[in-house]
Amino acid sequence: MAIVQFTKSKIAGITCTLPRQIITTAEVAAALGTNATKVKAMTGISQRRIAPPEICASDLCVDAAGRLLVDLEWDLQSIDALVFVTQTPDYILPATACTLQQRLGLPNTCACFDVNMGCSGYIYGLWLASSLVESGLKRVLLLVGDTLTRIVSEADRSVAFLFGDSGSATALEQGESNTTFVLGTDGSGAEHLIIRAGQARQRMTPDLCKRVEMEGGNIRSPQELYMNGSEVMAFTLREVPPLFEQLLEHSGTQRDEIDAVVMHQANQFLLDNLTRKIGIESNRVPTTVENFGNTSCASVAVKISLCLGEQISENNIKLAMMGFGVGWSWAGCIGDFGPIKVPPVNFLE
Amino acid sequence: MITQNQLHHDLEEMLELDADTIKGNENLDEIAWDSMTVVMFIAMADQKYSVAVSPSKLADAKTVSDLYSLISNPA
Repeated sequence: MAIVQFTKSKIAGITCTLPRQIITTAEVAAALGTNATKVKAMTGISQRRIAPPEICASDLCVDAAGRLLVDLEWDLQSIDALVFVTQTPDYILPATACTLQQRLGLPNTCACFDVNMGCSGYIYGLWLASSLVESGLKRVLLLVGDTLTRIVSEADRSVAFLFGDSGSATALEQGESNTTFVLGTDGSGAEHLIIRAGQARQRMTPDLCKRVEMEGGNIRSPQELYMNGSEVMAFTLREVPPLFEQLLEHSGTQRDEIDAVVMHQANQFLLDNLTRKIGIESNRVPTTVENFGNTSCASVAVKISLCLGEQISENNIKLAMMGFGVGWSWAGCIGDFGPIKVPPVNFLE
Repeated sequence: MITQNQLHHDLEEMLELDADTIKGNENLDEIAWDSMTVVMFIAMADQKYSVAVSPSKLADAKTVSDLYSLISNPA
């Protein structure tokens, strides 16, 4: 079972960078001939940040990491590894993490690699980066970000309203901690949230770039994201509440001890249902959905930065974090975090 | 055991329809059934009836009566 407790790896800082450009639900609804009020009522999303073509997830993460490293006053030579979690890397190869080593001026002694994870990606990244520190590395930089708006068809109603772009940087180092992680996978759900074409299983051809009408009149190409919303809802209602119970049990935590539950920001309807099911009052489940949408793998970091930044930069607080989605993959952690550095979120032109 | 009347009432509330609009023999396309309401129905069945509705079976449902079969015989 992927259940583990870490005691020697702590978070030193978190920050995020998002694109400055905004797209509103009203704009997209008008273009698709859809009722914006109904979409807003269901998703809770009013607007999202969208990266222009020249900005990749790596660029957002470089901005976040650069600012965080300045704030932490870390000697770059002390960073032993960089983990980049993304579904939108710069290239098929090389790993974007290798280019990030050079761009951030990290030493050649730094281990760098990419991890392809989505909604559960921030927690997977924290677990992995913490493991590296626990194994003896001094400092690890975890960069998590996606520009999913780049791989979503704006003519596909099932996904066109949901995603926002973002990048995050989290710094981990040796230090006293007490964090419990629980992780899980059910690959039978892979087909429900997938981009089928463009990699080795189905190489790109001109035909595969063409958008065609699919189920329910949704229009996309095989190189764009397909999501079965009802399967996503059923999966999260099935798997996330037990994940939360496992976290409580294995960490020996009571519900009332938790300052905030930071869940992957899928959409407000899903969050409301999960909040109800896990038995936590909504005032302890902050949300960034309304103004930022579903920011994919970085959503937990975005929420910590925007909603808990002041609290966690001044105090030690008990957080539960949970990510769940594409894979199916899920992961959660409970621990005491802070005080840590949380430079203000930056909005990149 | 959920009654058909209870389901009709809950569907009317979910779809913001007037009371007693749904009789049970309607085709789903007559009650503005779409991809969003399908997701809402899964959540409603979970919350109100503690039933995990199978999305693939729900996709095959054609009538309100089919919805009742799904929640009364979830396996």
